Amino acid sequence: MFDGFKFRSVSSPVHTMDPRAKFIYVCALFSVAVMFNQLIPLLILFVIQIPFVVLAGVQKEWLRSMKGSAMFAVIIFTMNLLSLYFYGSYGSLPAIIERSLAMTVRFLVLIESFSVFFLTTSPDLLGLALEQSHVPYELCFAFTTAVRFVPVLAEEAQTIMDAQKARGLELEGGNFIKKIRNYIPILIPLIVNAIRRSLELAETMESRAWGATKNRTNLYVLKIGGKDIYLILVSAVIFVVSVYVSIYIQFPALTQLLVG
Amino acid sequence: MSKLSSETKVLAEGTVVVALTVILRDILPPVYHLPQGGSVTAAGMVPLLWFALRRGLRAGLEAGGVYGLVNMALGGYVADPVQALIDYPVAFGALGLAGLFRKYPVLGVTVGIAGRFLAHFVSGVWFFWMYAPEGMNPVVYSAIYNGGYLLVELVISAIVIIILDKRHLLDIYL
Repeated sequence: MFDGFKFRSVSSPVHTMDPRAKFIYVCALFSVAVMFNQLIPLLILFVIQIPFVVLAGVQKEWLRSMKGSAMFAVIIFTMNLLSLYFYGSYGSLPAIIERSLAMTVRFLVLIESFSVFFLTTSPDLLGLALEQSHVPYELCFAFTTAVRFVPVLAEEAQTIMDAQKARGLELEGGNFIKKIRNYIPILIPLIVNAIRRSLELAETMESRAWGATKNRTNLYVLKIGGKDIYLILVSAVIFVVSVYVSIYIQFPALTQLLVG
Repeated sequence: MSKLSSETKVLAEGTVVVALTVILRDILPPVYHLPQGGSVTAAGMVPLLWFALRRGLRAGLEAGGVYGLVNMALGGYVADPVQALIDYPVAFGALGLAGLFRKYPVLGVTVGIAGRFLAHFVSGVWFFWMYAPEGMNPVVYSAIYNGGYLLVELVISAIVIIILDKRHLLDIYL
């Protein structure tokens, strides 16, 4: 029931990188993707990310997220195609198709880079990175602890559903109103249990001197290390090269290349 | 139990509420699939709304914002930084606006969900502005798409909150 929510702790060079370095990489790719609107540079941008995905060993998950965005990609493509055809001043049909494809690929590039970030960053590391980026500690604590609580509460939800089913509650079938009404006997115990659990949590926190010291220290401290510096350098190079290219080099359209 | 400082209690409660929201929105099967692709969750926003009504505006905003981050980290749909910010922390944080009307739960729920609608609406317009060229009117499309499922969610949330209020579950263990 909640397989998808357990972070797959694959260890790869990418997984152990500092989330902040990966964030810089994602931001660099984003700004580059926005800079271009021709098909060829965007395709290049799409392809150069694939080694990174393979290095992280998340090809399967990555393919799934690409499939998930296929519908949006189709929408973007048709939308561009139709509106350029009817309102735009682009002229020939191949040029319009190329332009629409470019927009679609831009979208895929962005989805690709963000999904790599989230696929390779465990919630724990993300919480740590938030903390060290001076997000208030209470919020970081809530973030990490909530993620930790999810499997526990999921199990509890399953137990409550089983218990109510054993007492004769029908969960499947019925019309819309009936479905909502059937839902109440599950929701109320869930909420009450959650509140009880939160009191336990509060007691645990206080007994471990929550908030006693102003400056918290961490057992694990994120440091920008060797790999991270490489990634930041690569991002910087991609960014600088793209700025240069976008100013001085005019990319030919694919259609022009094919025709002449 | 009564010696606990209220700050710790609010924080612990908020944390558990965020986890509960993950369960209801992302793990339990949705109540209803909409034809155009969205789905109506099993009263997924109720815990956050309930928390905001119980603990006030600030706690509600913060819990919503944290849920937004958790949702994003557990497999959100991010296409660019602006959309990420608006669609996740801001949209769910907006549910905390319910805390403005603690005396009138239904009004609070309506305002909170209206806040979420506004956030998704703005992000939708931004999305289409990024990827669609001139000549399209993204405003109408975004409003219809986001308004559709949120309206259904609003009805469900309001009904559930009324039931919780009737059974005095809005202020148990305060």
